[in-house]
Amino acid sequence: MDEDDRHDLELHRLVSGRERSAFDELYRRYGRSAYGVALRVTSQDLIAQEVVQDAFLALWRAPEAFDPARGAFRSFFLSLVHHRAVDAVRREERLRRRTERAANLEPATGEDPAEDVVEDAYLRVRRKEVRAALATLPPAQQQVLEMAYFEGKTQMRIAEELGIPIGTVKTRTLAAMRKLREALREE
Amino acid sequence: MTEDHERIDELLAGYVLLSLSGEEATEADRILVDHVPTCATCRATLSQFQAVSGDLALAAPPVHPPETLLPRLHHAMDEVPLAGRTPRRGALIAVAASAVALVAMGGLSLVLGNRLSNAETRTGTALEILSAMRAPGASPVNVSPQDQTPPESGMVEVSAPDFRRLYIAAEFCPEPAPGHAYQLWLGSNGEWTPVGEMFWPDDGVLLLEVEGVDVSRYDEIWITEEAVAQPPTEPSTDGRSWFGSLT
Repeated sequence: MDEDDRHDLELHRLVSGRERSAFDELYRRYGRSAYGVALRVTSQDLIAQEVVQDAFLALWRAPEAFDPARGAFRSFFLSLVHHRAVDAVRREERLRRRTERAANLEPATGEDPAEDVVEDAYLRVRRKEVRAALATLPPAQQQVLEMAYFEGKTQMRIAEELGIPIGTVKTRTLAAMRKLREALREE
Repeated sequence: MTEDHERIDELLAGYVLLSLSGEEATEADRILVDHVPTCATCRATLSQFQAVSGDLALAAPPVHPPETLLPRLHHAMDEVPLAGRTPRRGALIAVAASAVALVAMGGLSLVLGNRLSNAETRTGTALEILSAMRAPGASPVNVSPQDQTPPESGMVEVSAPDFRRLYIAAEFCPEPAPGHAYQLWLGSNGEWTPVGEMFWPDDGVLLLEVEGVDVSRYDEIWITEEAVAQPPTEPSTDGRSWFGSLT
């Protein structure tokens, strides 16, 4: 565990003691990454905001849901945001399909994918590592991972859209996850 | 039981990416409950894939949230009733009733309901409930007030065989007693599994969606009023309650 992970743990401990300043510090550290992934998955400003708000509020309500023995806070929290973003986009998609009206959904206008966003150095470094690891994947593996993770699609739907057997989707997904696991393994 | 670890790894990879559906999602749930907790290799794989999944979020460009988001969050934090609360793992126990599965599901994702839901979201949930009621095999279940529970507070449960989702609706859900919250349970052969603590909506109109639940595994549903100071291990018969048969 490195210094930044330990700092996260300390902030989480303080949040568990209802320290608002620690909560704000976690928001400062992870708000941009959380909003970035929520926006990428949902493509909707308002929904992404609600996803991020829900995730942070869930952390405030029940900080004990994070168990430090099971990994880094960063992974836990960003997984939580991603999970909620996928839930939200699937819910919206079901609603949109049924009502055939998407007019009330504001498109993402405020996306500011500024790579010069001021963020903690360790997140910047980790971000580069993740992108570098993704870049090493064969395009076919990148594609299924992108469709699953950032588009919230099921393996069944990915197979249908790509016109390939679902078994191939599974194989590519597993191969991609194993390669990323090796590339991103932390001591 | 001998398990095919290549197959399990495939399921775990799909599981952490939230990309499983249908029978495979059910199979993953089974693996998470029956096999993973007892297999060190699979526990490690699950943990490692979870870490990858979390880090994949960093591949998206960071974006400044709107300036208004943190103040809104502070306001919402003020509304959350925390006084007298103690940490409640029990309120967050996943249907799978497995610590490993709880982590795999993201833990917090099964807190039931959303105080922040706006009118559009609630309308959307209401429309989904109507749609679910029309789904093949769906049959709304009355979850009836018991004993001293107000008789006008009846609830309806809606689920369908292929949904892996459960809805609960009520026109009037009374506010829980001070220091209490409503807890949703699903029962099978007399064994009760805590699904989660339900938010009480200020207007008493309950429109609840619970994702990832295979209702076909259960034959009864019970909503009970529980003291928030003690994680419930079994349904309480002391306060208000609602009960329904899923069979």
